[in-house]
Amino acid sequence: MNPWTGKAATVEEWLDMLRSRPEMMANVTYWHTEPARPARTVPMPEELDDRLKRALASKGIERLYTHQASSYRAVREGKHVVTVTPTASGKTLCYNLPVLQHLLADDSARALYLFPTKALAQDQVAELQELADLMEANIKTHTYDGDTPPTVRQAIRNAGHIVVTNPDMLHSAILPHHTKWVKLFENVRYIVIDELHAYRGVFGSHVANVIRRLKRICRFYGSNPQFLCASATIRNPQEHAQRLIGEPVALVDDNGAPSGEKHMVFYNPPVVNRQLGIRRSSVLESQKLAALLLKSGIQTIVFARSRVRVEILLTYLQDLVKHELGAKSIRGYRGGYLPKLRREIERGLRSGEIRGVVSTNALELGIDIGQLQACVLNGYPGSIASTWQQSGRAGRRHSSSVTFLVASSNPLDQYLIQNPDYFFGRPPEEARIHPDNLLILLDHVKCAAYELPFEAGEQFGGEKLEDLLEFLAEEKVLHRSGDRWYWMEQAFPANNISLRSAAQENFVIIDTTDGHRVIGEVDRFSAPTLIHEEAIYLHEGVQYQVEKLDYPEKKAYVRQVNVDYFTDANMAVELKVLHVDREDRSGALLRQYGELTVTARPTIFKKIRLRTHENIGSGPIHLPEENLHTSGYWFSFSEEAEEGMTANDMQMALLGLANVLVHLAPLHLMCDPLDIRVVPQVKSTFSKRPTIYFYDRYPGGIGLSQRLYEIHDELMAEAGRLISGCGCLSGCPACVGPIEEVGLLGKELARKLLDRAGGRL
Amino acid sequence: MSGGLRERLLRLRSAADPQAEPAAAVKPVAPSASGAPQDPPAAAGAADAQTAPADPAADAPAEAEPGHPAFVRLGVRTKSNAYGSFLLRTVEYPLEHRHGRYALGELLERAKHLAPVSARQNKGNDSALRLPVEPERLLFLDTETTGLGVGAGNVPFMIGIGWIAPGQGRFVVEQTLIRHPGEERAMLAHLLARMAERTHLVTYNGRTFDWPVLVNRFILNGWRRAGPEPGHLDFLHPSRALWRNTLESCRLSHVEEERLGIVREGDVPGSLAPELYMRFLNDGDADGLEGVYRHNERDVLTLAALAIHFGTLLSPLTREDPRGQEVPEGAEELYRTAVWLEAHGALDKAERLFALLAAREEAQAVRWWLPVAARYKRLGRLDLAVPLWRRAAERAERAAVPFLDAHIELAMHYEHRVKDVAEALRLAERALELALRRPPSRSDPLRARQLREALQRRIERLRRKAGSRSFDQPAGPEDGEDDLFALRQG
Repeated sequence: MNPWTGKAATVEEWLDMLRSRPEMMANVTYWHTEPARPARTVPMPEELDDRLKRALASKGIERLYTHQASSYRAVREGKHVVTVTPTASGKTLCYNLPVLQHLLADDSARALYLFPTKALAQDQVAELQELADLMEANIKTHTYDGDTPPTVRQAIRNAGHIVVTNPDMLHSAILPHHTKWVKLFENVRYIVIDELHAYRGVFGSHVANVIRRLKRICRFYGSNPQFLCASATIRNPQEHAQRLIGEPVALVDDNGAPSGEKHMVFYNPPVVNRQLGIRRSSVLESQKLAALLLKSGIQTIVFARSRVRVEILLTYLQDLVKHELGAKSIRGYRGGYLPKLRREIERGLRSGEIRGVVSTNALELGIDIGQLQACVLNGYPGSIASTWQQSGRAGRRHSSSVTFLVASSNPLDQYLIQNPDYFFGRPPEEARIHPDNLLILLDHVKCAAYELPFEAGEQFGGEKLEDLLEFLAEEKVLHRSGDRWYWMEQAFPANNISLRSAAQENFVIIDTTDGHRVIGEVDRFSAPTLIHEEAIYLHEGVQYQVEKLDYPEKKAYVRQVNVDYFTDANMAVELKVLHVDREDRSGALLRQYGELTVTARPTIFKKIRLRTHENIGSGPIHLPEENLHTSGYWFSFSEEAEEGMTANDMQMALLGLANVLVHLAPLHLMCDPLDIRVVPQVKSTFSKRPTIYFYDRYPGGIGLSQRLYEIHDELMAEAGRLISGCGCLSGCPACVGPIEEVGLLGKELARKLLDRAGGRL
Repeated sequence: MSGGLRERLLRLRSAADPQAEPAAAVKPVAPSASGAPQDPPAAAGAADAQTAPADPAADAPAEAEPGHPAFVRLGVRTKSNAYGSFLLRTVEYPLEHRHGRYALGELLERAKHLAPVSARQNKGNDSALRLPVEPERLLFLDTETTGLGVGAGNVPFMIGIGWIAPGQGRFVVEQTLIRHPGEERAMLAHLLARMAERTHLVTYNGRTFDWPVLVNRFILNGWRRAGPEPGHLDFLHPSRALWRNTLESCRLSHVEEERLGIVREGDVPGSLAPELYMRFLNDGDADGLEGVYRHNERDVLTLAALAIHFGTLLSPLTREDPRGQEVPEGAEELYRTAVWLEAHGALDKAERLFALLAAREEAQAVRWWLPVAARYKRLGRLDLAVPLWRRAAERAERAAVPFLDAHIELAMHYEHRVKDVAEALRLAERALELALRRPPSRSDPLRARQLREALQRRIERLRRKAGSRSFDQPAGPEDGEDDLFALRQG
């Protein structure tokens, strides 16, 4: 009997089978096992309300995990708290316990819960409602979001003890209408912020400002709530929480939850062409592993980096296992799916009806899909924290689980898979926010002024508030009267300010195959490359061709097709330096940091054959260009550095170096790879010299380029090590790029250029 | 990094108009020596109105007028109370003053008939429900705000109120204006004092706009409302009920022109008011505000006219009241008015209008016969319904695009109530023929097909019935009826 097609009873048995297959084990570069951990518990706090004790007991909770008890204690001592524990460790009780205890004693008290998504909010309400029912207590919990029917909104505003919402709703609906929420704001005792790690980067910077506004409104109504935060593992939970809420916070991280044995397996697809350094596609290898797991009855989640990858993997997998399991038991999950479909998939996963799911990082957050047994990461998720988060989707309390990290050929993946110490030896990333980004801050000063006039002497953020107010007054957005500033525009400011980049401006995808049906949506930034006319848009494994993109109306009309290719679009990017803030000349390099504008325009798209990935055609894209005003870092090479190199050599060297840096920079910045861009130019329009640019992909910048300016030497040293350490002959996708792109001498040229960059290695 | 942006902000700032004075509000209010307040120009259509310092309330008398010539022209004065000061303009009209079709004094007679409107609009507000609608206890209210929506940042900069003071034979309009946001508390306190003497706010969309915006302001000024909520008479809803299809829009300015006989000349549209006020705030020039004052004043008067209009509609039928017997011209408006009257308990008047509509012969009236007949049927008045269906069916036969409803109603009537299967069959067959004559429906082809199929089934069933009857057998189950009926209802 082929052990791979028979049903394996446990993950352990399955792993034994894997170990017995040398051809598979040859690709395993590292195998890390975390031993099972027993539970550490303490008795329920004495003072806890009997009703609450009984309700928990009826759910089988007789004792608390250590971290739950610690956070309860810290909250009762009146501290702001952040609790950090891995997925599925019972962290919601960390905040629900003190909140419910208080509400049982004080019926007039209120709590506000914030979750980054609507789905998480709904899970939470179900859980709280169940506890309230078990206690037979009159504690009303409601979600308040875009889906809340207008008829019940008023009741929620006046009578909801616990209001569960998201930062966007707080920003655009609750705070600007705070006068309708008098009961809540006068009596709010606790503000719960879960999934704290999700509030990083631009989104986190906005949310920090929303919280500043929230605190300001609370002060107006005379309340001074405690913040109860929970976060997945990041390096700096305490610091992050303090920056986000602007208050000192107590850290609770003594995780007492048990967990089964966890295997983390690094898997590098085999080299198929050593000379060219080409490995088998990570998509195909991920698919193979996932199929083996699924066929053995192991419930598996596959994470892919992009929406397109998700759809490609889904198509392959559904096809592969359709005879054993039926296509409906393997589902896709990503941002563009409509909420109803997502809820259905989440339910199917919890019930076990759905055996496999292919997802983007949309499932990384704490959406309740139960605990799966195996996880396959198609490519490094881009950060250590994300990797642990995604891997946490597999792992049950009392049985083993396994995560495969399947490396793609990009340099970062290859670097990691060959240097496991880097991954296992390092704490996960920091969550960074920059709430005083002037543009973000200014936006929220406007919103805050709308909510409540500013008074002289008030504080809001780290910049000098009075300057900002004066600026807005001269812009005639605010009106100064005595020592107060009043909102004086007709418009409602929050409407035009989205917390998530371009989240507000989604394009809807309309299937016209049979009537008109909305099947999904795409954010504005992705639209030019994903749904330009003639693009192949994949949805739930089905191919659609975009027939018409109505750019002003934000609609894409698609029709179902059956073709053997997918599409990939190119963007042309132009940079214009506006202002140099910092500069440093040393050796062959001129390094500068400052402001620039980026003009991006999609140019052509390529048709790429499925499975073989060969280029089988192309076409133009006609769409307007997008402008971005941001901060950037760039360094230019002197004439000496260029000596003896032709323009073409320089082109290849820069391209090779840029290919390395584009992957290394996010690693050192600990940011999402999409947040920072790298552009090489043989003759920069600004410096007239060969130059490599980095820029923050957010208006006004979020501090990434600035950091690169500071860690330049470290970054270059790392790039040198990566190029030298790569086993390929003359460039491969894992270092400077494939020779088709950088030429036969690309690797050498890039190394030469690095050496000449002032002997800084 | 933010240093660079800060510089840019500063650069941007220096590019902005250096002349613009950031805070017009600090402009000193020079007491003016110029003479007595003038009457508003005749162009405002209020030649008999007087701006008057007279102030019936017991609080401090109005003080000297602020300096700007526009304020002088308008008779605006500074007014102070315990919370500070603001600008107040008072205009008084004699009760004979006609605003369009109605004289303001008619309010005294008509207001009480608005009780059913109050009953419908104040459900859940028991204190307001208990209060009668009395003319001198109504406060007409219209605000001009700095923005749209009911968010916390939308500020009413002008509050126009009006009331009838029968003792003095006057209709009084007061308009408050704040020269800067700091004067808001004093203005709100003034409004609250005026409200204290009255039971209902009479508005146009005030239930969902003006009043919630004002409530925001009370809260933002640290006040919590004590005591009962005011009652509302919001005439947006009745206006929509009557005119939502027959008038191009239900904006107040349009309604008053089309139905109240009010013509505004040189009116500054309300939508410009925020901009004009911003200009005043920024450069202290009150000239632009004159139009806002006039506009708001007219709005307050129109509210009174609307109250009279709806009060007249609801007044009982008497021979001595020709106004109260007037009937809308258009068939649809006639129908909607009748429905509205019925919903407000004016059954006699509603019945009369339904009968008048049934008696109309013009083409536009025919489609309204059907709902009228349906109502008769619901009330058990088949003696009235059947002839109306008959007439409608005749008209359908002649229509270019025939409708089937009358035939189907009659077919059901003959089958089930008259038990005349032959006549029922004839009508159903006619209906099918008409259905086939209809041009194909583009909006809902499926429903049109289902309707035809249902008719076919009905005909077959009627044929079976007609055939079986001769053998003296009981009729089969009436399976075709429900779906046909449901289809037409949908």
